[in-house]
Amino acid sequence: MKKILAILLALTMIAAIGSTAFAADDVSELPREETLYFAGQQWGAVNSWNIMGTNQNNSMVIANTSGYRSLMFETLFMYNFLNGELTGLLADSYEWNDDLTEVKVVLKDAAKWCDGTPVTSQDVVRTWEVDAEVMNTAGGSYSAFVDSIEAVNDKEFVIYAALNDDGDPVNPLKVNDFLIEVPIAQAAWIDKLVERCGGDTVKILNDPGEDVVWSGPYTKYFCDDQKVVLIRDDNYWGQDASMWGKLPVPKYICHAIYADNPAGELALKAGEVDVCQQFIGNIQDLWLKDDLPISTFYEEAPYGVCLTMPTAWYNMNIPVLEENAALRKAIAMAVDYDTIIANAMTNQSPSFADVPRSLMNPTDGEQALYDHAAVKDLQWVGNDIEGAKALLDEAGIVDSDGDGWREYDGEKISLNAVCPNGWTDWQASMEVVAAAGDKIGVEITTLYPEWDIYQTVFTNPNQTEYAIFMWSPDAAKPSNPWTRVNQFMGSDYIGIENNWSGNWGQYVNEEADALIKEIPLTTDKQDLIDLYTELTEIYLTEVPSFSLMYRPSMFHAVNESVWTNFPTGDDGRNIPPADCTDGYGIAALYDLELVG
Amino acid sequence: MKGYRKYFGKKILWFIITFIAAVILNFVLPRLMPADPVSAITGKMASGMTDATAVQEIYKRFEEEFGTNKPLITQFFIFVRNLFRGDLGTSFSQYPRKVSDIISSAIGWTVALQLPAILVGWLLGNILGALAAYIRKGFDKVLLPIALFLSNVPAFGMAVTLLVIFAVKLKVAPIAGGYAFDMIPNMSWRFIKSVISHYQLPFWSIVLVSIGGQAIGMRSMSIYELNADYVKYARFLGIKDRKIVGYVFRNAMLPQVTGLALSIGTMIGGALVAEIIFSYPGLGSTMYSAVTAADYPLISATTLIITIMVLIVTFLLDIIYGFIDPRVKAAQFDA
Repeated sequence: MKKILAILLALTMIAAIGSTAFAADDVSELPREETLYFAGQQWGAVNSWNIMGTNQNNSMVIANTSGYRSLMFETLFMYNFLNGELTGLLADSYEWNDDLTEVKVVLKDAAKWCDGTPVTSQDVVRTWEVDAEVMNTAGGSYSAFVDSIEAVNDKEFVIYAALNDDGDPVNPLKVNDFLIEVPIAQAAWIDKLVERCGGDTVKILNDPGEDVVWSGPYTKYFCDDQKVVLIRDDNYWGQDASMWGKLPVPKYICHAIYADNPAGELALKAGEVDVCQQFIGNIQDLWLKDDLPISTFYEEAPYGVCLTMPTAWYNMNIPVLEENAALRKAIAMAVDYDTIIANAMTNQSPSFADVPRSLMNPTDGEQALYDHAAVKDLQWVGNDIEGAKALLDEAGIVDSDGDGWREYDGEKISLNAVCPNGWTDWQASMEVVAAAGDKIGVEITTLYPEWDIYQTVFTNPNQTEYAIFMWSPDAAKPSNPWTRVNQFMGSDYIGIENNWSGNWGQYVNEEADALIKEIPLTTDKQDLIDLYTELTEIYLTEVPSFSLMYRPSMFHAVNESVWTNFPTGDDGRNIPPADCTDGYGIAALYDLELVG
Repeated sequence: MKGYRKYFGKKILWFIITFIAAVILNFVLPRLMPADPVSAITGKMASGMTDATAVQEIYKRFEEEFGTNKPLITQFFIFVRNLFRGDLGTSFSQYPRKVSDIISSAIGWTVALQLPAILVGWLLGNILGALAAYIRKGFDKVLLPIALFLSNVPAFGMAVTLLVIFAVKLKVAPIAGGYAFDMIPNMSWRFIKSVISHYQLPFWSIVLVSIGGQAIGMRSMSIYELNADYVKYARFLGIKDRKIVGYVFRNAMLPQVTGLALSIGTMIGGALVAEIIFSYPGLGSTMYSAVTAADYPLISATTLIITIMVLIVTFLLDIIYGFIDPRVKAAQFDA
């Protein structure tokens, strides 16, 4: 009886599985020594494989972090955030004209689609046409910067930059981003898609794209509510000597869908996950105390490459913040960043003594873009309570009624520090910000709304509910640090509803804005350094926001119980710790070896 | 017979009224949350976009597609119209997936996990409670504290404890998922065994927590019944103890049956904790993620399922009670 019940139960579940699984081939078990397991990239079931669509929730094949995740669909170039270089993928080379109005791109001769047809300029032209027409992620991201693309011949095409009223390109830096971020689709398949959707934009975006044609080394094999499995395409064009010269080593790529970070972490520890893109507190304990074969890109702190800076934004809709740069700077000076980095990030971030604060992330390339000596006096490392108090006193923001709290215009200054509930490292940071306020006589209370409420409020340019709130600016791509600087101080985002793009505090500074607009057309290195230095001076003086820590855009922890030879900081291969999937990080898949 | 017809007619009328009220609440309540799910979808798509105008355009397109730019009353009538067509709408958080697709892929797991767990927990709890009441002495002294302890362990506490002991430390159970991490679903014994082994921890985490509450309830009811006048009278009449115990437990069971029916009615929400802790697929975790993402269509659909299930089981209970419990029957006919 018990056995019959058990079988009935199992059958019920199998029926449930069957209702979502799109394919189950003859392989019922993924051979461990041919499968690379992931965690931390795919949350929830896949919605679609349509590369021209939207909201596919298909992170293993359609995602951009610091480079495109080119397992199934490929971009023209791959980005390497370690050195800022663009390595050819579908394309071989690119060349800008002197006016920066057009860039000529040459495709690789060997590049082919999975059906064996060559990747041509017409594919690129058609991809962009439809991207721009339906305004999917690529269209929405680049329509303002790319005017059109024209084929010169089958293997050469020209990207024409969008021009402003003066005839100058709007932003050539963003065209460089296009080269590494926009996946190319096959023109014949796009035509098929458009035809079956009757040209209807919404239908095109929502098509599941089950018949999609790809050019990358992997394709869909199985997916349900619990996992996504990709299988290697053994006819992949990239085994040509002009590209990788071989196939990637794992035959299968599998990402189990975990409910949350702790579940993924447990699976990593158990050896069920090889590559983990999740924040794991005190990660060094995994090899130092637990003696597990787990490692990171660097053996010592900060263990990874930090590319972004989670930042506390001051809301300029609140008069006391908008009118008092001294108050903004005093709070920022009083915050104990070492505590944040030690507790919230468990030292997986360099300190602000190691990498002094500016507009740049800690990579060598960005750090070389400003004059460190020129802004030295403006930088602060934090926990400077006396300095902050003195600054407030000097600005006349004092406690005149003796209640321990400072007043402005006769009213006690009372602010809140806000981030989404459950984002524990950010919440820990906000507690430190509140404690800093306490020490300098400025009342700051913490507030942790649920994510759905938080995102609604902080993207509203007129909101006055959140005084100090957290969000991260852009990480790394060819247009950075420009994109990030624009997010910190650019006027493009002032008053924009549903503002997901930047300047969330709505800070206005015409001088900074003018400098920001000069950068994209500046090619001289020294001129660029001067511009960025000037902007850093403004930022550190005006303090429209302040970064709380440095942070990788992707965490990269690997368990070497089955696979080894993952990229590390000292192996000389220059493969970025991008989970073996993103940008040039995918090169790691070709070097993997089995343990023993 | 006329009495029954009147009784059921009245019941059906009330259930229709309750259902209409529930549909209205299912629609309105999620929309009262101060959150904008369209902004969240736009955010997912717009992440990294620097052109704010393009983001605006995308927001407007989604608003139009989801109809959130229409007045609430219009949205409600569209919702009801679609409901009659069996269309539960498109999920916001898993856009462009249909809500019906999400639910159909998850509900089997939840039912397969929760239904046996509720039944086993109920059965074991009631047997233990009855034994504690009848045998008393050492059994009661040992069982009651254990039952009290178990019923007070929060569901997540029990799930995490089982996970840490059996999966992490002893490594005798899998840590996550509905089947092995290295398997593709298929009709093999190995796969079925894998499904069963992944089933154990979530199943027992629900059973162990529910045993305690059931046992305590059953014990109290049984003690109450054992001291009732009819029991004393039956004993005076010399009726055998076994016969009396049969009557006692039948009477004590009535409220427990109501509890069981309601547990079955609300089982979708009840599976939430076990599903999340064990990364187990199912409707509980779907509902949780829908709430956190302000996914109105998905929230409305899942809560509607719970509402309908509760209404059906309470309706059936009322009907069954009308037949089996003379006290209920008498009260209804008197009214």
